[in-house]
Amino acid sequence: MKTSGAPADLVEQSLYEVRRTIHPRAVRGWFAAWRWALVWATQLVFYGTAWLQWNGRQVVLFDIAQRKFYIFGLVFWPQDIIYLTVLLIISALSLFLFTAVAGRLWCGYACPQTVYTEIFMWLEQKIEGDRVARLRLEAAPLSPRKFALKAVKHGAWIAIGLWTGFTFVGYFTPIRELWDAVWIAATGPWETFWVLFYGFATYGNAGWMREQVCKHMCPYARFQSAMFDNDTLIITYDRERGEPRGKNAISRPGKGHCVDCNICVQVCPTGIDIREGLQYECIGCAACIDGCDQVMEKVGFPKGLIRYSTITAMERKLTRAQMFARAFRPRVLVYSAVLWIIIISAGVALWNRVPLKVDVIRDRAAISREVEGGMIENVYRLQIMNTSEAPRAYRLSVSGISGIRIPGEAVIEVEGAASRMVPVKVRVAPGAVAAGTHRIEFGIESTDDTSVAVREKSVFIVR
Amino acid sequence: MKRTIWILWPSFIVGGLGEVLFFTVFDPHELYLFGEPSTLSRMAVYTIGFFLCWAFAAASSAFTCFLQGGSREINR
Ligand code: SF4
Ligand code: SF4
Repeated sequence: MKTSGAPADLVEQSLYEVRRTIHPRAVRGWFAAWRWALVWATQLVFYGTAWLQWNGRQVVLFDIAQRKFYIFGLVFWPQDIIYLTVLLIISALSLFLFTAVAGRLWCGYACPQTVYTEIFMWLEQKIEGDRVARLRLEAAPLSPRKFALKAVKHGAWIAIGLWTGFTFVGYFTPIRELWDAVWIAATGPWETFWVLFYGFATYGNAGWMREQVCKHMCPYARFQSAMFDNDTLIITYDRERGEPRGKNAISRPGKGHCVDCNICVQVCPTGIDIREGLQYECIGCAACIDGCDQVMEKVGFPKGLIRYSTITAMERKLTRAQMFARAFRPRVLVYSAVLWIIIISAGVALWNRVPLKVDVIRDRAAISREVEGGMIENVYRLQIMNTSEAPRAYRLSVSGISGIRIPGEAVIEVEGAASRMVPVKVRVAPGAVAAGTHRIEFGIESTDDTSVAVREKSVFIVR
Repeated sequence: MKRTIWILWPSFIVGGLGEVLFFTVFDPHELYLFGEPSTLSRMAVYTIGFFLCWAFAAASSAFTCFLQGGSREINR
């Protein structure tokens, strides 16, 4: 990256100001097929999951209006923030691991920026034609035909953007109700706003910004190189084999295998020349590999002039097997070990999660008072949260001081995935304990499943 | 253009993070506006909260950008 010196800065800035639209040539091949497979997979999951039902509700619903997250049979409450944190840590570590092994896999195949750009470019190609046709169209003066093509293209892009925005909001507010509301123009103002906001962002990022997002906005692009080492698989041009490049390399044996056809540059979505070495702009999409392989096939040279390789493999001329063997190096093993430990412990914690949470709040108004028979009474408020989906009844108990008890019947019923605040009186016989603060413990146990139980500490005050 | 991105984009991310953290801890229904319990829906509070977070983060970014200019620019 250019960090020092004003001239370099100026060059980069001016390049940026006059950014020309990049019209990548479409490629076919092994890696493009993988990318499309991932486009389908991620988008089927994204657009589809919102519509699936489970137990009469949406399978995945981040019901922020009710402050509850539903994921399959699990219900998460704000108190479960730890799971979200763990999920973020797992994602970050996986990203580190994948990056150390094979560079920007995420960017090239799974990042929404890549995925939507791929979809948008596919539409662009269907509507405006291939790269040459698009370049010609861009250069042409505005005509009714040009206007019509552009209108259709932007119309299609906006439609996809809006659908994406709608689906996105459908994860936060029940999508079926939202869908019904759309038809009678009765969506809430906030939902409408977010559909438009997210839709517009999709349209802008995938239609207009494209590689600009990767180059100028993505934080990962800036620090990914810190996770690279000499054994990281990166997109590499085999300089030794390719140079000296030349158009008529076939007829002139003195030349390398690169026929200087520029296909690798034309297919590159970020508009760089991989033959100049790895650059931070390279998102690792492997389009140049597919492109060059096609050329190699045509001119009868072995494929892989541009390929996934590592710095060590290039320097020491390792075979593929030797190169892959070096993937199991300490860094990768440590990342994997830590990752698995976290995943397994999170899994165990989730599995053993008791679907009940209780908060004990001391009533501040009445600290301690004497009631009939000279008993000393403290009042608490218990917030009982049933995080399972079935209604449950709980029996309350209290311990910590001899003779401590809750007067009356202490069974509380709570609806599924709901919480109830109940006032609880606790009494102690006079003279059982000295004046002061005493530790006590509440026990809350489901009446039909004794494994669903929690204990919560509090204090009992005697004056 | 580049400045606009520098100001609006990092603040968007930080604002979003701030929003998530804040509302994980506080329930909009428990917030008081000028001493009055708010009557807004949670969705409304989330949205307004997000833009407030974003605006504050953007203000900070803008301030950074403003102070960052080298002597070359100021002495001009
Ligand atoms: S596609 Fe291959 S042969 Fe063509 S210019 Fe690029 S590296 Fe050379
Ligand atoms: S250099 Fe190759 S892998 Fe990198 S972004 Fe361009 S086409 Fe994709």
